[in-house]
Amino acid sequence: MPDPIHQFDLHRIFPINIFGHDVSFTNSSMYMLIAALAVVGFLVYAMQTRALVPSRLQSLAEMAYEFVAGMIRDSMGDEGMKFFPLIFTLFMFIFAANMIGLIPGTFTVTSHIIVTAALALLVFVTVIVAGFWKNGFRFLKLFVPDGVPVYVLPLVSAIEVISFFSRPISHSLRLFANMLAGHITLKVFAGFIVMLLGAAGTVKLLAPLPLIAVVGITALEFLVAFLQAYVFTMLTCMYLNDALHPGH
Amino acid sequence: MSEANKGDGQSGTRREPGGNLGPEDRAAFERRIAGLDKRLGDVRSRDAAEARAGRDRRTSSRGMAYGLRMASELVAAVLVGGLIGYVLDQWLGTTPWLFLPLVILGFAAGVRNVLRGYKKVQAEVAASTGGNIGRSVPDGDDV
Repeated sequence: MPDPIHQFDLHRIFPINIFGHDVSFTNSSMYMLIAALAVVGFLVYAMQTRALVPSRLQSLAEMAYEFVAGMIRDSMGDEGMKFFPLIFTLFMFIFAANMIGLIPGTFTVTSHIIVTAALALLVFVTVIVAGFWKNGFRFLKLFVPDGVPVYVLPLVSAIEVISFFSRPISHSLRLFANMLAGHITLKVFAGFIVMLLGAAGTVKLLAPLPLIAVVGITALEFLVAFLQAYVFTMLTCMYLNDALHPGH
Repeated sequence: MSEANKGDGQSGTRREPGGNLGPEDRAAFERRIAGLDKRLGDVRSRDAAEARAGRDRRTSSRGMAYGLRMASELVAAVLVGGLIGYVLDQWLGTTPWLFLPLVILGFAAGVRNVLRGYKKVQAEVAASTGGNIGRSVPDGDDV
């Protein structure tokens, strides 16, 4: 049976070494670059005509814009549109990376926790910086909910602090775990087909069963690829909303 | 003849020569009207079903997004609570007297995360299903 973890291996493509640190250009870097170029290429190409009555591609690009802008306006109001570049970039990058990872033989960037953790920390640090920038020390009101009696306040504050610091963890773990688990499941089920075909006698006849499962799981993975990009973006909006309006 | 005239109030507007419809023509006409009504009804109910299915799909994908979120939120809070406790214990040499309460606090934080998320989703669902909690959506009448 083929090793289901093998697909997540990193290889150096151009070895680069700066001051003793290994910063080689790996297959992961390459697929990040491909995802970013795919997004930019798609948007630039689709918006080339800038027609009043959009072509199919242009309306796809407009849909992507409307989708993210709607999410931001719903959770943060028009004020949140300041963060549109960040949030739109995050959404398109994660979505493109997830989708490219579903093409057989490619590498899934978001199946490595270091990548999703970096994205989650980017959001986390943005929330903290924007929160203090906009509200000063009133940002700390996030940890002091209204209407809590003084004698339980230390306990509630401790819970709020833990809750706040759990955000980047759950934010990054969710995307990473879903992509990793989905790809391993696909590989394992695909491995069953080969195993059953190699088996002796009538057991061979069972081989179509995992094949049907793989087709179903692939469809599910497409849904997950979109849903995880959506969830990541929606949570980014929610967290940034806390930075703009602490104490809500 | 006079009866046909009395019954057919719209005979004046019809362009057909002779004006009046014979009884069997009228019956055919009524049948066609009834058939059209039925077809219109079919189309309307199919449209409604499609709209409902679309709404269900949207709601269920939001539900899935919510479900995927909550499990990891609960786990992450316990992890973070435990981690903070463990690091403090290593630093202060109090193993395991900070780790244990902080795991429990982490669990409390996780439950709080889930409850907060639930409240939000509940409000969204109430808004999308036409409960009167939702905020009003501007439309053409607001101009």
